[in-house]
Amino acid sequence: MQQLLNGIFIGSIYALFAIGFTLVFGILDRLNLAHPAVFAASAFVGIELVERGGLSLWAALPIVFVFGAVLGLVIERVAFRPLKGRADAHFAGLISSIALAGMLVALLQWRYGPDTRRFPPGSFPDTRFEFAGAQVTLVQVVILAISLALMVGLTYMVTRTRLGRGMRAVAENPTAARVLGVDVDRVTAVTFAISSALGAVAGVLFAINVNTAQLGMGSAIELKGLAVIIVGGMGSLPGALIGGLLLGLAEVFAVQYIGSSWRDVIAFGLLFVILLLRPQGLLGARKVREV
Amino acid sequence: MLDQYATTLTFIALGAIFAYSFYAVLIAGQLSLGQAGFASLAAFSGASLAPSGADVGEIPALLIAVVIGMSVGALAAVVLGLPTMHLRGVFLAIATLGFAEAVRVVLLNQEWTGGAQGLGVPRILTVGMAWTALALVAYWFWRMGRSRYGRALEAIREDELAARSMGIDVGRHRLAAFVTAGAVAGLYGVLYAYYVRLIAPGDFDFIAAVEGLVTAVVGGSTMFLGPLLGSGFQTMVPEIQRAVGVEAGWIRPFLAGLLLLVVILFLPGGLASLIPRRTRLPSEDDDAAGLAGRRHPAAGEPVVTLAGLGKEYGGVHAVRGVDLEIRAGEVVGLIGPNGAGKTTLVNMISGLVPPSTGSATVLGTAIGSTPVHRIAAAGVSRTFQHSKLFNRLSALENVLVGAHLVSRPTFLRRLLWLPSARRDERTALRQAARCLERVGLTSLAATRAEALSYGDQRRLEIARALASDPSLLILDEPAAGMNHVEAARLSQLIRSLAQDGLTILFIEHNVGMVLQTCSRVVVLNFGEVIASGAPEAIAADPAVIEAYLGSADDDVDGGLLAEGSRADGAPAEDAPPDAVMNLRTGDAGTLDTPDTGPREAT
Repeated sequence: MQQLLNGIFIGSIYALFAIGFTLVFGILDRLNLAHPAVFAASAFVGIELVERGGLSLWAALPIVFVFGAVLGLVIERVAFRPLKGRADAHFAGLISSIALAGMLVALLQWRYGPDTRRFPPGSFPDTRFEFAGAQVTLVQVVILAISLALMVGLTYMVTRTRLGRGMRAVAENPTAARVLGVDVDRVTAVTFAISSALGAVAGVLFAINVNTAQLGMGSAIELKGLAVIIVGGMGSLPGALIGGLLLGLAEVFAVQYIGSSWRDVIAFGLLFVILLLRPQGLLGARKVREV
Repeated sequence: MLDQYATTLTFIALGAIFAYSFYAVLIAGQLSLGQAGFASLAAFSGASLAPSGADVGEIPALLIAVVIGMSVGALAAVVLGLPTMHLRGVFLAIATLGFAEAVRVVLLNQEWTGGAQGLGVPRILTVGMAWTALALVAYWFWRMGRSRYGRALEAIREDELAARSMGIDVGRHRLAAFVTAGAVAGLYGVLYAYYVRLIAPGDFDFIAAVEGLVTAVVGGSTMFLGPLLGSGFQTMVPEIQRAVGVEAGWIRPFLAGLLLLVVILFLPGGLASLIPRRTRLPSEDDDAAGLAGRRHPAAGEPVVTLAGLGKEYGGVHAVRGVDLEIRAGEVVGLIGPNGAGKTTLVNMISGLVPPSTGSATVLGTAIGSTPVHRIAAAGVSRTFQHSKLFNRLSALENVLVGAHLVSRPTFLRRLLWLPSARRDERTALRQAARCLERVGLTSLAATRAEALSYGDQRRLEIARALASDPSLLILDEPAAGMNHVEAARLSQLIRSLAQDGLTILFIEHNVGMVLQTCSRVVVLNFGEVIASGAPEAIAADPAVIEAYLGSADDDVDGGLLAEGSRADGAPAEDAPPDAVMNLRTGDAGTLDTPDTGPREAT
């Protein structure tokens, strides 16, 4: 039971991170590899806000959310918009976002140094619950609640609001969307902002969960994020949620029953099987090729 | 002197070889990150299976390890490639990445690899050996560039579907590119192992794979020198920073990232785009024989036989029960209102779409489960409703790809500099030049296809289709977007092709042109053939006039239709008042911008 809950907690963070990935992919058909750098950066910024700014953990979260959104706008403007219309935009977008990610991490190193950072002691309330014989901290419950709330909010936005309609229109066909009066550039920028804001919150929550932030934390979760969006289905929001939870659970149980050194083989074995049997992912739709 | 830079130079060579393993698949439009896994398997198996340098001498030991490593790399690529070759773009990248990660974790947990401690390997590789290996790899890709095989890979990168229709077996070519990548990555793995003295599975992780990809793309993934330039750049940037006194710490990675960003944003083709690309033109004075043509069916023999052919899309009958026979030497025009099923019908004939019902034989090949490239090999060549050209190739290269089926493979002979390869390449070039001349594009031979005007792109597609010396030529709305002068010239071209004995099936909305050009006209409406016969008879057929103009009582008579003044699905009387309609002849298709963005090309 304890393992199950741990899997769900870590899985919800994976899901939140992966949703940012999949949102951009679903709409632009591009992988934004600067996303992991946002994840890392926001963890450091979150710790600084608590440590130096003296804010409470929960007041820091909205600020980090905004910080992530701004970073998302920068990423879109610098690494993606200039590539629009280029024949090699796919590869070029990967590389330009990798480059930008490298610069972001370098800036983090300048500001915070290469060492691991932690939240100051006493930042977390140490309330604990007993739940079906398992220990649960308040922090974990809050992580889960925030992740779920953000995902539900996002799903509502994409399916019900005008902006969400614009996003789906751009995903379907950018040219047609433009003809019909959707401001494609604006929708694209907003998508990046939302995606990065979610990645940023995921970063802070992850740092809270394990109480560390390292420069390399982004690349560590990057692979998992990719696995999650493949398993769940590229561009599918509920797919990313299910994929994230599945991966979290698979990892926790793999460590429990097989040994920690084999954890990543489980994740990628799962990924591989899904790709071969159902390339569109669990909940993804197969795009029909047009003649 | 050289010793001082030996380490740097060796790493440039190693980095370039690794980048070539990415280039090998990027050239075919595949994004793979599995090369780190291939290199890892090759490094560990090569280093542990090869005899030690003390027994057989150092160089033979290294060579044996290289052979083992390259075989292991290639074999791993086959094993990974067979199930994953149907994946595209990012999906392939992530699947191969998953493979590489799995390899890393498995090797990490093995006894014989030394696990996380790593495996000690003697240093045998010298800077000279590294550059020799690099030269061999670069030579391979240099000679590949202008071979039939190399062109086919580029065609697949630019437009997979068009490449298929030109008779290229896309699956085999993609797998071949993937196996090449595996072998080159294996070479890198072994050389790396014999240089750094201690290898650990962590040396071949995700970051290493990304670095290899970045090197290849920065250098340029469309020209064989790219990986070398990229590796020089990636290796030298930190070296130069150290030389000018930039301290270690955050500034170095920051500047490296910034430079990378600048290169990728402002040099679309990578560093290699700084090198001017020579475009080949055929020499004028050659008069040797053309390519071996194929045996065409004699006039009057059946070319296409359709029996009850139908296609259903989720309950909608796009094509229903079509019986049709086309005989050699005929020029058949296929007309009908928008949505009548014309394109679906020719897609079935050319093998792109399998029929739901009925059967069809095209040039002796039964269609249905036969892959597109086989049908092309039987002698079917086509153009597309929206131009599907190989955008980044020159006009001449486009046509050369069209000649894929009738030219001979030249890559292996080019590696050996055999004169016969040169002869074959020149023959193919001449054939391509002749096709360009036929459509009047000789002066634009060196222009990239994407830079051509819309009308020229359509004509280039015809030239490309002609290059394979087809028995049956299918043209899907060739005159769309042309003005009436261009359309008249096109009509003339089609008739002259027919005089050469080519069988032609073409879809066109410009009814006037169809009536002038064809020996027979077939009219399709709601997926069914409603009339078939000589142009004059069709122009007077009340059923046709009704299909086109709504009802026979309209004040537009058959004579007007025959002159082609109002043709393209002119408005039916009962059309809703706000319906969007094409009113002018020849405007069909112009509402759509030409579909040049290959969304799924990567």
